[in-house]
Amino acid sequence: MMHIDPQLHRVLDGELPSDDLTPLQREQSAALQRAARLLAEAPVGSVAARVMAEVRRPPLRLGQRVAQWLTERHAVTIAVRPIWSLALAAALAAIAVIPSRGPGPVLGEQEGIAQFVGRFPDARSVEVVGSFTDWRPGAVVLRDDDHDGIWRASVVLPVGEHEYMFVVDGERWVADPLAGRYVDDGFGRQNALLFVRPLAR
Amino acid sequence: MTARRLVALLLAAATPLAAQSGFARLAGRVPPPALSAIDSILVAAHREGLPTQPLIEKAFEGGAKGVAPDKIVLAVSTSADQLRVARALLREAGEAQPTDPAEVTAVAAALSRGLSPELVGELTAVLPGEPTGPALHAVADLVGHRFAEDSSVDLIVAAAQSGLRGLRFLDVAAAAVQELQRGRSHAAALAHVKSLLPNVPPPPRPAPSTLSRARRVQPGPDRP
Amino acid sequence: MIGAGVLSATDREPTDGEVVAQVLGGDAEAFGIVIRRYEAGLLRYATRMLGHPDAAADAVAEGLVRAYRHLATCRDPGRLKSWLYRIVGNRCRSHLARRSTSDLSLDDAPPIADPQDSEAATERAEQLAQVERALETLSPEKREAFLLKHVEGMSYEEMAAVTGERIPTLKMRVHRARAALLEALKEYE
Repeated sequence: MMHIDPQLHRVLDGELPSDDLTPLQREQSAALQRAARLLAEAPVGSVAARVMAEVRRPPLRLGQRVAQWLTERHAVTIAVRPIWSLALAAALAAIAVIPSRGPGPVLGEQEGIAQFVGRFPDARSVEVVGSFTDWRPGAVVLRDDDHDGIWRASVVLPVGEHEYMFVVDGERWVADPLAGRYVDDGFGRQNALLFVRPLAR
Repeated sequence: MTARRLVALLLAAATPLAAQSGFARLAGRVPPPALSAIDSILVAAHREGLPTQPLIEKAFEGGAKGVAPDKIVLAVSTSADQLRVARALLREAGEAQPTDPAEVTAVAAALSRGLSPELVGELTAVLPGEPTGPALHAVADLVGHRFAEDSSVDLIVAAAQSGLRGLRFLDVAAAAVQELQRGRSHAAALAHVKSLLPNVPPPPRPAPSTLSRARRVQPGPDRP
Repeated sequence: MIGAGVLSATDREPTDGEVVAQVLGGDAEAFGIVIRRYEAGLLRYATRMLGHPDAAADAVAEGLVRAYRHLATCRDPGRLKSWLYRIVGNRCRSHLARRSTSDLSLDDAPPIADPQDSEAATERAEQLAQVERALETLSPEKREAFLLKHVEGMSYEEMAAVTGERIPTLKMRVHRARAALLEALKEYE
């Protein structure tokens, strides 16, 4: 989009005088004022007669108002619950069939659950390394118990924003393809970005 | 005492107390050639009142990913610049002084996702007194799916005006993306979600039965 | 002349507050003064918002009738102008929400010159058409913000009363509208 210097905005808003505008700013200001002048030309026509005809009409009695309402069209809005993405639904379904490892940890108010799923059919190990592990490997290890190449883990994390990558076989750093949200890591790669919500809502 | 630890201690003795904890944490996690330069960046950031934890995390990340020392220094320096820009944007938006470090970090993260400073500044101005991270990331989510920047901002502002806050903004963005995936045009997807406000459904909650807690691995002699 | 009975003995124009009081006191004809005073600006605003003079006339007429019927709810008659623009703005927004994108009415063809027109008038008509096309590329929110600020000459406070938006939001929209309009005008050069 065209860039307009903040100083010009302030001049156009009447907060600063226009004395110190650069030639480009003057050109931009002139273009905008020219456009406004053209748009200010009033269109021909009047609605006075039409409005006064309604103003002079005697008010409807209640029964007439109801009849009028019934014959008019009214906009009706129906809220439709959207269907969630198939990838996420499949991932959640896949996680649900993993056997329980016990009662699991009790969550604090500022903790939520993050679910990691990745398809690495030939991998020997898959882990998640990220801001929540201080970027140390070995803290979050995914499992592929049925050897179908789908690696999974559900982890309790603090509520908020986290960056991470998968590390495959201890050496290959891979962006999570299911994350849907990425940020440049500053090293030529992309970290996945995750928002963890409190479980108790 | 190893030579590495001696160097770290000597360098630590030469730096201000406030940054020593960062420097001490960096030693062993970041290639030695990068240590001094990163320490200087941390000291400067601390003096300016910028949050230093994101910078330390960026250095850790570079070390973990095996990145060359000069590139780690560059990334940490860039992150510090983004924090400066973020704080300036918050101050321009009228945020109270001193600016909340968490807010500065959140705005910097949004900038690193490619949102323009102008857009970030505008959004923080229209949501005063609110943590802006989720709203900014919601806009970034939409822009990442090729929704127009200004239309994305309009949707999130409308969501705020309908009473939604915090992570609910991410639900709004997710709903628009889903409408796109269902075949609607970008404009139709935004209009549809706007019509649902504030009743945009949250995502399904995950089942807690298979949970584990992330283990913080303690540093040892064989592990950096 | 519509509403002539409201003029005072010194023939000064009555204030908006005086006209409102007159209408609420039972003098329906006095509403004609409101129409005369604000019709041109409202029609201009609605025409620029909707890009279609007939739709604009409908929006303004319906808005003014609604204003007459609900005049007692105008909390501050001294801010009648903002209140009227708010009502008509809402009608424009409803119209835009119902309208599909295929309904755009601005003709892409250049204006047909009337042989009677002077060269200057023809050129002006072409320039206006260009500006109208550029305005049409703005989102309704940005279009409205630009029109209220630069065409209707409102302050940000008045705009806040018309739109119900906060001033920082309106400033953001006006700033972005300026940039977008300049960009669009550049493409049509």
